[in-house]
Amino acid sequence: MTTDKPERELVVEAGPEGGLVVGPIDRLLNLARKHSLWYMLFGTACCAIELMQTGGPRTDADRFGMVFRSTPRQADVMLLAGTITYKMASRVRLLYEQMAEYRYVIAMGSCASTGGLFQGSYAVVKGGDLIVPVDVYLPGCPPRPEALVEGLMLVQQKMEREPWLKKAHGKLPQPVDPWPEGAELHR
Amino acid sequence: MSQIETIQARLLELVPESSWSDGAAGDPFAALPADGWHAACLAVRDDPALGFDFLRSLSGVDRPADDRIEVVAHLFSYKHRHALVLKTHTGRDGGALPSIHDVWPAAEWYEREIFDLLGVRFEGHRDLRRLLMPEDWQGHPLRKDYREAEHYRGIPTRRPGYAAPDRDEP
Amino acid sequence: MDALYELITGSDLGFWWKQLLLAVLIGAVGVIVFSVALVYAALMTYLERRVSGRVQSRVGPNRVGPLGLLQWLADGAKMILKEDVIPAAADRPLFRLAPYPVVIGVFAAFASVPFGEWLIAADLNVGLLYLLAITSLVVVGILMAGWASNNKWSLFGGIRSAAQIVSYEVPTALAILVVVLMAGSLSTQDIIREQGGWPWDWYVFRQPFAFAAFFLYFTAALAEGNRTPFDLPEAESELVAGYNTEYSGMRFGGFYLGEFGNVYLMCAIATLVFFGGWQIPGVSPAEHHGSWLWQIVGFGLFFVKAWAASFVVVWLRWTLPRLRVDQLMSLCYRYLVPLSFVCLLGTAVLMMLVPAGSLFDSLLRFGTFGFGLLVAAIFFWRVLWHIRHVGDRIDLKILARGVRGRFDPAIQHRAYGAFRKQQKQPEESR
Ligand code: SF4
Repeated sequence: MTTDKPERELVVEAGPEGGLVVGPIDRLLNLARKHSLWYMLFGTACCAIELMQTGGPRTDADRFGMVFRSTPRQADVMLLAGTITYKMASRVRLLYEQMAEYRYVIAMGSCASTGGLFQGSYAVVKGGDLIVPVDVYLPGCPPRPEALVEGLMLVQQKMEREPWLKKAHGKLPQPVDPWPEGAELHR
Repeated sequence: MSQIETIQARLLELVPESSWSDGAAGDPFAALPADGWHAACLAVRDDPALGFDFLRSLSGVDRPADDRIEVVAHLFSYKHRHALVLKTHTGRDGGALPSIHDVWPAAEWYEREIFDLLGVRFEGHRDLRRLLMPEDWQGHPLRKDYREAEHYRGIPTRRPGYAAPDRDEP
Repeated sequence: MDALYELITGSDLGFWWKQLLLAVLIGAVGVIVFSVALVYAALMTYLERRVSGRVQSRVGPNRVGPLGLLQWLADGAKMILKEDVIPAAADRPLFRLAPYPVVIGVFAAFASVPFGEWLIAADLNVGLLYLLAITSLVVVGILMAGWASNNKWSLFGGIRSAAQIVSYEVPTALAILVVVLMAGSLSTQDIIREQGGWPWDWYVFRQPFAFAAFFLYFTAALAEGNRTPFDLPEAESELVAGYNTEYSGMRFGGFYLGEFGNVYLMCAIATLVFFGGWQIPGVSPAEHHGSWLWQIVGFGLFFVKAWAASFVVVWLRWTLPRLRVDQLMSLCYRYLVPLSFVCLLGTAVLMMLVPAGSLFDSLLRFGTFGFGLLVAAIFFWRVLWHIRHVGDRIDLKILARGVRGRFDPAIQHRAYGAFRKQQKQPEESR
């Protein structure tokens, strides 16, 4: 299940032995996983409005089996939809930690990707990847629902190329966790 | 007598220590000393001729040149449909003001905001915590000499690898 | 099932052999019932998502399998793969145990659902009582989940759910008692045999009180199954996800399947109690009994009736807003319970006064049936009236072109263009 679009190779994880082998069982499991990508109902700013659109009639995310769950325990993908302030940062982190493995994160919009137009601000985290590991970045302010669907499909493609059996047993390198060692969460 | 003159006259009657300024660059305002702040607010609210029952906004301004922080209240009266700007000030270091959240309950969060961003302590406030910034934040960001720390809880405050955007350095 | 049972007990094997074979038989039936229940519950989730899609003028899942029919397989496999999180502050044994009563309560009830005359795992002589009783196990599981999660939203959800299910059990049971009174039996098969294939032979149209009892049952059962407009235990806007907030992976899957299994179950009960179950119009019970063909047709009829009822449940869910807790309770105790008592009493009086088969009996029957038809006609007329006045011609046009047309962008585009043209024309030329 390779893709013919080379720029999407970005999301491939390198295994410890070099190449990745995705076996038939992996494929089957990945097929199931990728078609049931439930996203968390969570938004921090204006991008969340587009997130709501994505579930609507025009770009019906449910076609791909993507429905929202309002609790992080049952969600597979977290959309950082909007500006993340420092006060919100540890809440975002807390929600991320509450999600059950496997979990993916999409940084939606320029705010969640890099801090966006709030570069000079004292209150805004300059990118969601400074607090949680991000799998897919979506440019745009805000990204259109179509772009968000594409981002979700990029997550699907990433899933497709993961040797699930190995990943589940922790034999693959874990994504680099940017959360600083010893930093506390507001609870 | 125009409306503003009426207000002015009445205010001087009620609070003799207020000094009126015609506000060449904006609205006319009355400046009050810090210790008369609470009494003056109570007076303009309860006086039947003024009747300022609505606190539109309470904000703070840092003035390093004068070494003080100004607190500005924009008031409005639904009954008489007129408005008034009141100002007071306090020192930049450890400045304190009496809280007016018992006059207008709306002031409670405004005062928390001013405390958070400018560091003015409001005495008598029942819950003076930071409002916008996390509780363990260092410094008060809206002060003109505020310098952002490199990290907050280990999270870098500038995006790594980005050219630093213009920031107001003191 | 019964035949096999008699074959085993009647054979000349030793005692222990017989016991062993019986155990195997029971185990096999259990597995079959469980799988059937699983598939039905899972298909229910598919129906829910497709219908919700159509209601919101979306498409709904259509990527996995033909028309997305295998979506539930993907979801199930995913839930098994997910991590099973147990919060540190949770009551571990209780937390782990909680999904089981829910799953058992719902799936064990499938054993007594008469899918066909031959297709019933256990035709108990107290079948209806069993159905009502075992589904109450669900409340134990939900309460356990709410308590053990040690999360305030879960606790709220659990307690709300317990209050709701226990309260609505009363009108549900009273409404069903109306039919039990008429049939004189608690066995599900006997109740179906007492009815006939034609609509006017169904219990719902036998007399006015049964007609009312059906609506009471349906409302109360909606609440018992935690369905909108009574889905307070998992109100997303108030209680993150209610009692299953802290559950992930297959433990959540248990609740999920239990909930949807429950929906099918309540529709199956409505079918067998009020809508004549597997009875085929114009086929006498004697003919039905021995014939494979009629058995299959009867199964098909039950299937269609129960799924049609499920469709209505889903439709209601995506149409109605949610009630408040106090409204919910007052609806139950101030309206549904007294009304179902009235129905029960009225039925008893009618049964005493009107002998079966008398002229007045037939009059009641056809009168109720006619009234039912009238209600349905008024309903459809109102729906059409609303559609006409909203001016929603797009959807009707696309629908008219069949299933394929609904998903073909070209057809949709054309229909939309026609709609726009129509909009632009002056009022009188329409
Ligand atoms: S990227 Fe734009 S739309 Fe999205 S949160 Fe930031 S400012 Fe709002």
